[in-house]
Amino acid sequence: MGLDGIIVLDNIGRPIIQSGFRSSTTAYPLLHIDAVNNAIQKAASPKEVDPVLYVTPYNTVDKPSACCHVESGDIRMLCPVSGDVDPLVAFAFMQTFIEILREYFGTVSAATLRDNFDVVYQLFEETLDAGGHPLTTSSNALRDIVLPPSLLNKLLNVAGANLNPTINSGVGPSAGPFSSPIPWRKAGIRHANNEVYFDICEELKAVVNKHGTTIASFVRGKVEANSKLSGTPDCLLTFNNSQVLSDCAFHPCVRLQRWSRDKALSFVPPDGRFTLFDYRYSPGAALQNSNNPTRDNIAIPLAIKTNIVLEENGVSFDVTLLSRLSTHALETVEVELCLGEGASGIKCALARGLGGGGFVNASARNAEGSTGASWSYDSKSSILKWRIPVVPPSSSWSLKGSCTTSARAPRPSHAIIVRFEISSHTFSALKVDQLKVTQEQYKPYKGVRGRSSGVVEWRW
Amino acid sequence: MAHPGQDAKFFQRGKIEEFRAELQAAEAKDKRFVKRKTVLKKIVANITMGTDMSPLFPDVVQCLGTPLLEIKKMVYLFLVSYGRSKPDQIHLVIPNFLQDCNDRNPLIRALAIRTMSYIPIPVVTDSLSDNLRHALKDRDPYVRKTAAICVAKLYAADPRRAEKGGFVEMLRDLMLDSNATVVANAVAALSEIGDRQDGVTFKLNLTIANKLLAAIPESSEWGQIYLLDSLLRYVPERHADAELMAERIIVQLQHGNSAVILTTIKALLYLMNYMENRELIDYICKKMGPPLVTLLSSGPEVQYVALRNILLIIQRRPSVLKNDVRVFFCKYNDPIYVKLAKLEIMYRLARAENAKEVLAELQEYASEVDLDFVRKAVRSIGRLAIKVEAAADDCIQALLDLIETKVTYVVQEAVIVIKDIFRRYPGRYEGIIPTLCENLDALDEPEPKAAMIWILGQFANIIDNADELLDDLCYTFLEESTEVQLALLTASVKLFIYKSQADRAKELVHKILKWATEEVDNPDLRDRGFMYWRMLAVNPTVAGEIVLAEKPAITTDSDRMDRGALDQLLLHTGTLGSIYHKNPEASSHKANPELLLMINQTFIRNAAGKALKDSPALNPQSRAVLVPLMRTQLPPTAVNVPGPGPVEPASEKPPSPTNAPVPPSKSDLSNEDQISSPSSLQETAPSTDDKALTDPNDNDPYSNLGGAFGNYLVDAPRPMTGTQGRHGEDEDLLF
Repeated sequence: MGLDGIIVLDNIGRPIIQSGFRSSTTAYPLLHIDAVNNAIQKAASPKEVDPVLYVTPYNTVDKPSACCHVESGDIRMLCPVSGDVDPLVAFAFMQTFIEILREYFGTVSAATLRDNFDVVYQLFEETLDAGGHPLTTSSNALRDIVLPPSLLNKLLNVAGANLNPTINSGVGPSAGPFSSPIPWRKAGIRHANNEVYFDICEELKAVVNKHGTTIASFVRGKVEANSKLSGTPDCLLTFNNSQVLSDCAFHPCVRLQRWSRDKALSFVPPDGRFTLFDYRYSPGAALQNSNNPTRDNIAIPLAIKTNIVLEENGVSFDVTLLSRLSTHALETVEVELCLGEGASGIKCALARGLGGGGFVNASARNAEGSTGASWSYDSKSSILKWRIPVVPPSSSWSLKGSCTTSARAPRPSHAIIVRFEISSHTFSALKVDQLKVTQEQYKPYKGVRGRSSGVVEWRW
Repeated sequence: MAHPGQDAKFFQRGKIEEFRAELQAAEAKDKRFVKRKTVLKKIVANITMGTDMSPLFPDVVQCLGTPLLEIKKMVYLFLVSYGRSKPDQIHLVIPNFLQDCNDRNPLIRALAIRTMSYIPIPVVTDSLSDNLRHALKDRDPYVRKTAAICVAKLYAADPRRAEKGGFVEMLRDLMLDSNATVVANAVAALSEIGDRQDGVTFKLNLTIANKLLAAIPESSEWGQIYLLDSLLRYVPERHADAELMAERIIVQLQHGNSAVILTTIKALLYLMNYMENRELIDYICKKMGPPLVTLLSSGPEVQYVALRNILLIIQRRPSVLKNDVRVFFCKYNDPIYVKLAKLEIMYRLARAENAKEVLAELQEYASEVDLDFVRKAVRSIGRLAIKVEAAADDCIQALLDLIETKVTYVVQEAVIVIKDIFRRYPGRYEGIIPTLCENLDALDEPEPKAAMIWILGQFANIIDNADELLDDLCYTFLEESTEVQLALLTASVKLFIYKSQADRAKELVHKILKWATEEVDNPDLRDRGFMYWRMLAVNPTVAGEIVLAEKPAITTDSDRMDRGALDQLLLHTGTLGSIYHKNPEASSHKANPELLLMINQTFIRNAAGKALKDSPALNPQSRAVLVPLMRTQLPPTAVNVPGPGPVEPASEKPPSPTNAPVPPSKSDLSNEDQISSPSSLQETAPSTDDKALTDPNDNDPYSNLGGAFGNYLVDAPRPMTGTQGRHGEDEDLLF
């Protein structure tokens, strides 16, 4: 399993930092940087570049290789691989590394990486062996060997007081690194306030055809936890309606056998933020064995009506968005319509239709800017975006407009993409029954929240 | 984060002399080594930018005595970067190495061992050997796990020394270590050694395999990947062993890490070859679906890798994801590589039960913006018609609707697939020919043009004005591509045979034969022209029988991969081979030699490939297609360059990368009737070894052309060979 190293590029393709490529020539990483930059240049958009690129060697000494790459914010991470390697290992490793960086620096950007290159470099050393083996990637263990750049650290350094593990200090009062028997949790954690929070985040992805029938809909959810518990707490989390969970994938801390047995999550949590597990919401799980493939369809919380007329050298459109929710508001709604190449001269009129009258509060909030809705057009991608900050329950909104196209027969996309968020709501209505913490004496403070988002592709 | 911009200044390109002076100055009055740390940081910054800092070697090494871990780390970083290029000075550091190997701090002990293993210079390796032996037995697991990986490095530097020193045996002992991470790293090191051409073979027996399984729950995700992957080195002797093991690892399918999931699936697929219990196999297949779907909710990169693997898995185990075709419906904003991969899977999963749904989706895609995707979607509609008979009527209607749109590229693709549909269902859809003829002008690319000409020639008897249309097409004969020229030649001969009394047909065939034999440089065309000419001259009746002989109907049954190759590729699930769908090991397979060559050279040099090993537990279906593993590195596959002389079907196999002298492409071939000469059978016989097992009565000359046309064309329909693929032993396969 040979991950040859990691290279980080900024958004114009210049290298920021790379791990030491020790088992290859110096030209090797450069070849990969070139290969990726060339591919991006050739592609219509950086998003369309194959994620695994074949890289030809420039001489006979180097063997050919492949380059896996992924974008994150304003950086692009490259992982050259040679040998019969699983590209998923490369992608999984890069994902993990990006998360480590996020944990160390708060945000991952070209600027933070440049500022903290020494820490990044140390992280490369500790997470990836020169032979291509991922090493320590659990941030709990990493923090013992690579110190995060905290304000405190810098201050102490300036003051000349050095708390870094100095040589010959031997094993300190708190146990040394890697002394913990649990790889994801270090020993001897202490918190003044013991608290643990769970966020249930669900995302709906759906495709609706032109007759308004849902042809595919999936809700994937994950439970993100933030644990600030002292010692080695053993948690047992149970749900009221665990039957809505299917296709679960768990953090390594979860005892899988226990889950298989009685659908209870038993785990010793890592310290800090982590994703406890993710799942698919299956509403029809109760009606198992029914072979009806529509059983897993999930109600779409909105409806779109379109009247799009293709004319010679132009398109006129009339889109209506209707909320189907009765208690919650849809938030940060974004409707996207690709008008096809060469569309220009966009004219739009926004309006708020009837409905949602009972929700005076929600509309009062937006009183100042009438509705708060807005539209914008990006001529490069020819995408028209319509934004509505808050769509109160059962309200309807409309966008009317037209554009001209350079092509005689306009080819707008036949799909409208709607994104939205709903706070304090989950599609699955997953409910935590209780959280028991054993092995420790304290009573922790516990909290659970839900939120959802969705991406619906509505065809016309 | 606290002081943005603070460290950025270190990136200024410094001069060697400046750094040297600063380092010397730092030796005096350096309270808490702050000065030294600053200079070293600058030096490391320059290393990361690719500036050569090696002249500072003696100066930097001086700092190794500093009792501060941070400084030590930076000096070691420097040593790792430049150590190997300083064989004459490296001995200066050896005493420090030795001292650090015995430090009280395990981090420093591990750091020293690791750094030494990165410097493959004999004097370093000498002193490493002894210390490594101690480190492998260190009381601290961090040191042991680091040391395990270092053994692989030592082995890479000097295999014989590592073997003589007993390091491989020590690694084997570490597999029984109490710490799971140490076990995983020992397995990783042994795998790395075992994958080398000159390495000790790494095999597992049942006891060790079970020990490794026990370590899985406590390992990190990377450790789990090594451990699960190593199960492929275990050859079960009894069905029960394989079954038990599969039951134990199946729980890992619920892991959050995508690579763990895929490795687990790979191990399960491998173990299934050794199982007997049909129910368990079905159960495992059922369990594999959801995690694969889970992978599709990740980023597009992971989706892509997952989709390429799913395509392989569903060909071998069709019950996986059988009812989940909706999962693969393309989203408008999926990247194109994801869309294309999904499209292929949708086609594979299409059955009579879901054909309507799939067709409706494909029709949607045909109106999308991306040209390449639209073409593939239209083509898929045609393939669907050929694959699922019940959906053929709807598909034809859909294609006609598309032709109505008059969008050129849509019409062109539609014509190509309709030609195949005519062959699949003779006598059913000829009524639509007039519609096609109306759109003759829209065809400006060789492939659709050739397809349309084939239709005109083949059905010249029912198309009233076929002679007129062909005559029009002939005006540009000499400028056309070879593909179209060949099609015109054959079509005009067919026309002449149908309407031998018509003057116009006579004129036309004469004109074209003359052109083909006198004006054209392409030997294929010329030879074929001569052949027709002679046939028509000698005995027109017989010529008619040959040219218009009944064609074998086509099917898509054979457009799947060869079973043996599939089994081998599945052992590489998740690896690059499975992305490109080429087995890095086998060279005897009908694969695109170009790509195979690339993969062979790229990804398998210095590595031993994987193949199923025979054992009493291997089930008969898998044994039937067993491909023997060749340990030795074969020369890259022989590339058959089409030589001079008559074109034989077999010379089709290596597609030449250039477009220049194109041998008749696939589509002509299936049009042409004379190629069913027996010689083609012998030509292709050698590479059918494993196929012959599944298709004993395979007497079909085209069936072997499969992989020869790269990924794009394997989807082309092929002739049906009666009962092919309907044997009981093939029950696992997808139809």
